Parts: sequence; structure tokens; C-alpha cells
Amino acid sequence: MAEQGAADLGNNNNNKPEASEGTIIKVTVKTPKDKEEIAIAEDASVTQFKEEISKRFKAKQDQLVLIFAGKILKDGDSLSQHGIKDGLTVHLVIKTAHKAADGSSTSASSSTSTQAGNSSASSPAANPAPTTVPTGSGQAPTQTPNIMSGFGDLASLAGLGMGSANFMELQQQMQRQLMSNPEMLSQIMENPLVQNMMSNPDLMRQMIMANPQMQQLMERNPEISHMLNNPELMRQTMELARNPAMMQEMMRNQDRALSNLESIPGGYNALRRMYTDIQEPMFSAAREQVSFGSNPFSALGGNSDSGAQPSRTENREPLPNPWGPPNSSNPSESGGGTTGSTSTSGTTNPSVSNPLGVNPASLGNGMFNSPGMQSLLQQISENPQLMQNMLSAPYMRSMMQSLAQNPELASQVMMNNPLFSGNPQLQEQFRSQLPIFLQQMQNPEALSVMTNPRAMQALMQIQQGLQTLQTEAPGLMPSLMTGGIPGVPTGGAVPAENPASSPSSAATNPAQQQLMQQMLQMFAGGGGSGGGNGTSQTPEVRFQTQLDQLNAMGFINREANLQALIATGGDINAAIERLLGSQPS
Amino acid sequence: MAAAAGSGVVVPRSFRLLEELEEGQKGGGDGTVSWGLADDDDMMLTHWNGMIIGPAKTVYEGRIYSLKIDCGHRYPEYPPMVRFVNKINLTGVNSSTGVVDLKSVSALSRWKNSYNIKMVLQELRQHMMMKENSRLSQPPEGQVYSN
Repeated sequence: MAEQGAADLGNNNNNKPEASEGTIIKVTVKTPKDKEEIAIAEDASVTQFKEEISKRFKAKQDQLVLIFAGKILKDGDSLSQHGIKDGLTVHLVIKTAHKAADGSSTSASSSTSTQAGNSSASSPAANPAPTTVPTGSGQAPTQTPNIMSGFGDLASLAGLGMGSANFMELQQQMQRQLMSNPEMLSQIMENPLVQNMMSNPDLMRQMIMANPQMQQLMERNPEISHMLNNPELMRQTMELARNPAMMQEMMRNQDRALSNLESIPGGYNALRRMYTDIQEPMFSAAREQVSFGSNPFSALGGNSDSGAQPSRTENREPLPNPWGPPNSSNPSESGGGTTGSTSTSGTTNPSVSNPLGVNPASLGNGMFNSPGMQSLLQQISENPQLMQNMLSAPYMRSMMQSLAQNPELASQVMMNNPLFSGNPQLQEQFRSQLPIFLQQMQNPEALSVMTNPRAMQALMQIQQGLQTLQTEAPGLMPSLMTGGIPGVPTGGAVPAENPASSPSSAATNPAQQQLMQQMLQMFAGGGGSGGGNGTSQTPEVRFQTQLDQLNAMGFINREANLQALIATGGDINAAIERLLGSQPS
Repeated sequence: MAAAAGSGVVVPRSFRLLEELEEGQKGGGDGTVSWGLADDDDMMLTHWNGMIIGPAKTVYEGRIYSLKIDCGHRYPEYPPMVRFVNKINLTGVNSSTGVVDLKSVSALSRWKNSYNIKMVLQELRQHMMMKENSRLSQPPEGQVYSN
């Protein structure tokens, strides 16, 4: 690089070094304020070099500290020892006795220090809501664990450094309590001590950083650390956390904005990406703290690949009708194809709005039977608050409202929903059922049922019963699904009145009624196949007339007749066609 | 150097380190930091010396901090190992070994392959000027970490 320079020094320089044997090199000596070029012999010692420097810089030799390539040049060394060659630069520090230094070289950087100070003024908040703000629709239950992480640390601070094991438990307990009792949260927030803490940004930041989950989170997702370091955002968040009303308002605004965003083509995908990027780590971090509450849906069976995604995003699917299998809404036509449709419609992913992943068409179908579902149902019945929290989260309401008002938007959302993108059949079914879904969602009774733990338990029982049925009488199920005679009296003689059914039978839409009838029939049929339960009408009884007619016509196979009649709902002609169609000749 | 990163070309480690070596020898930076190869025979360009001059108006003023920087074989994709030689009381620096935890320095917590030794030193210096650090009481000058 600079080695040639040594040879051709036309040296007019009068600063003659002592060792004239060596060639003279020009070395730049740099202080933050100053820069000088000093010529010196290549093989000079550091001492000699310093002599030159002290002359030039008007400083005492022992005040000089020379640095080259990260090393301090000691007096005893030689320049060549350090590889100092022509054209290279050596740093100089002039030490002074006083701290209010001059050449102590750092005054130049004071201007940069103010900038650094501003950018790093970090006022964190206990609630990492800002990252979830774009992901909005803050799952209200999951925000609390995040707050709790702050409070957990608060507790540890207050506890004067007690053993962490204790406080983990305390923290978790507090979290659980908070989740189930929003008032407690506001109480805590109002506590002046807490407010004091929250207004001290440095402290908050430290608290957050000290939490190992946060640290993990920050490692995984550095945006969060940037967020923590952004003072504006922090202050805003702290305000929000202090003022629950303000927070709700903010969340509502976010929801509105988000639902608008949905309607932009491609907007959904962007949002989804945003959620996965930001929300996922938050969620998993939060989940680690809370036992199961926040995200029980992620591991549900059936669709493990996309199962995680819907539970983390704002609820995009309309609440399906839990009691109506609108997918098989035309029982007469679906006929044999029902099994096909039930299996495809069995792929409704569990989502936040649809915590059971209740697939209307798959009563007793495979997904319900998955172990994950079972445990989820158990958990739900154990913790009714969970459902309540989920459903009462403001984002749900606003989303449902907006969807109901704008069926087009809803259908667009549905279409864009990647869950359904690979399944056109499902799309069709949902599309046709959209208006019904929307009505359903609006039906507060439906909501109340979902929040009603006993109702959920009843549903569980139904499902279990259906499971049993399936194993006991496998032949019965498909035919039952295709049943649904409008003529069958709803009230009927069917005993199995379950609380879940009553609200929906109050609803006026025909699909629901049909399903209701189906269900009743099933119970009736189940009763019949179970050994002739006297109080229920079996299909045999109902179709007695038709059966006789078929017999008279020559269709001897009673079983087949019965099946055909059930399938066609008592329509003799259709039953005959069925029977003929199934016969080889 | 910056051009390489901008064009999207991944500069091999040795080229990067040679560039940094050259810049260190020419006195890159504003005179408040210095860096260079620790051992001229180090063919792998792994072991580096660094020097930070304590910033004014802080408790580090007037002091010169020596550092050891090790650029592993995955540098610059992976950050180097940095540790102070002179004893210092600074957040992110292990008080018994002098090892610097880069993650505690906000500008370095997310390492990019465009970062270099100069930046590490300069950011550490900025880190010293932060409110939380600029007034920490320091051990007497001249002490070094034992390992």
C-alpha cells in the first residue's frame, strides 16, 4: 500500500530525525481537533516520535499518549515494531491534569452525545401494546399477561429481591386473577404506587428488560426492542395503560381501521403477515407465562398446519352456526354426497371466534373427536371465563358488526381467507351460508350460549353421545345426517331437549330449523335403535305407511326400504328410485 | 466497504477484515477510536486490538480503554467477541471478565453484516455517554481484568 512512499521521499523536511540511516516516513498524527503530518525516521523509537510531536503540538511529552491500530505505543517501542509506515495515521491523546480536557479528544463528540441521549431515552411501558396495536384487536386476555410481566417484576422489585421461584408463582396467580377479573386490573392501575412506577420510564424499561421472556422475545424479534426504545411510543403506551377507557377507544379505532384494511385487496395478507411477525412472538411469550389461557387453540387437531394461524389473528371467520349444519342444508339433494361434504366441512379450523372449531356439519365428526378438541372442551368448561373474555373482547363485537353490515366485505374476507383458499367446496358452502352466519352472529342468544358454561357442557355431552352413536350404530349416522323432514314436529316426542337448542330454535332461519329437526330425529332414531325407547318415534313408526306400500310393490328388503325412506324423507317415489338405483339389475 | 453491502454482494470475511485493517491503520474514525490487528502474523485476522478514548463530560473522560476483539470465522455475519482489557464499570460489560454483551448496546443488539469493528468501538463509546452509564463510578485507572 504505502510502502513505496518510503523510497521516494524528496525530503525537504527540516525536521530531521536523529537516525538518518533510516528513511523518513510521514506519519499523520491526529487528535480529534487537530491533524499534523510529522516526518520521522522509519526506525525511530516512540520516544523520538513523541519528541517531535510535543514540539509540534506544544505539549509535554509525558502528556502524550499515542495510539496506533488499537495499541498504545509505549516509549520503549519503535515505530516499525508497530508497523507504522509512511502515510499511516496515529492517534494522539494529550492528557491534561484537569478533567475539563482539551486535547482529550472527546469534545468533538459532545455534539453527538446529545443525539445519542435523545434516541436512547427509553420510556417503556408494562404493556407492550404498541406492537400489538397494529395487530390491534388486542386480545384482551392476552394483554393482561403482558402487563403482568411488568407487574411480576414490580412485585419482585417491591419484594426486595426475594427468590424468583416464589414470585413466578405469585406472578402466575396474579395473572390468572387478572384474567378473570378485569376490575382487579383497573384497581391495580389506580394504585398510586403503580402510577408512580409507570411514570418513571427508565424503571419501566429496566423492569421489562429484566424479564427473561421479554429478553427472549426481543431476541426473536428486534422490532420489539426498537419499540421499547422509542420514547414517544412508550409514553403513549403508558398513558394508555393508565387509562383503560382510552385504551378501549384506541382499540376500537384500531379495529375499525383494520376492518377497513381487510377490504383492500391484498390487505388481508399484509395484515396476516403483520400478525405473524409481530403477534406470534408476543403470543408465544405470553403463553409461556399463562398456563393455557391465551392460546389454547393453536394445537387443535385436524389442521395442525394452519391451526396456529387463525387463533393468532384477529378473528376473520364469521361465527358458524353451532347447531346448524348449513353445509348440508339441502338434505334431500345432498344425499350420498353428504359424507363427502361433511368431511370437507369438517375442516373448519378452530379460531378465536370459533373456539370449539365448531363445524356445523360435523357433529360427531372426526374433528370433534380429536384429543386436542377434547382437552379444549374440558378446559373451556373448567374455565368459562375464558370464553367470556374471548367473546367479550371488543374486537369481536366490532368485527361482527362490520361484517354484518357489509355482507360483501364478509364474503370477500371469506374468500381471501387462506384457510379456505384450497377448498372451493367449503367456500361455496360458506358463501351460501353467509347471510345466515351473519344473522347468527348478531344473535345475542347465540353468544350467550357460547359463553354459558353449562351450554358448552351440554354441547359436549351431545358430542359425546354422537360419538357413542357412531360407534354403536355406524350405519345410522350417515342416514341421519341426510334426514330432516320438515314435517317432523319440532317439539315432537323427543326427550332430549337441550338448552342449546332452544335459543336457536327461536331463530327463524330455516337451515337452523332443519338441523334442529335432524338432531331431534337423531335422538329419535338413536332411541329407536337403542332398543325401542317408547317415548320416541322411530323412523319405522313414522314410515310405516310407506313401508307397507313398498312391501306391497314388491320391495322386500325392509332395511333397505327404511334407509331409502329415511334418506328421501318419506317420499315414496324418490325412495323407489333410490332402491332401484342401488340394485344392480 | 459500504458499496459492497449496498450492491448486495456478500464480501468474504478476509476481504472485509483487510479493509478494516487498512482503515484502522489510516486512522479511520474521528480519532476517538482506534483498532488494529493484534498480531501481525495473524493470518486469519482474528485477533484485534481496539482502543476507545473515554468521552468528555462523562466519568470515562481522560481514560483510554483498551479492548480485545475477536472476529470469528463467521464474521461479519456473526458479531465479534469484544472485551475490555482495562477495568470499566459499564452496563453490558461483565464486571469480572470485561466481556461485552453486545445485545445490551442498543445499536449493536441486532448485528448486521454491514457493521464493523469501527462501529463496534464507536457505539461502545456512545454507550458510555448514555445517561445510565455516564455517571457510573469507575475503578481506579490502570487496572486490568485478570484473564
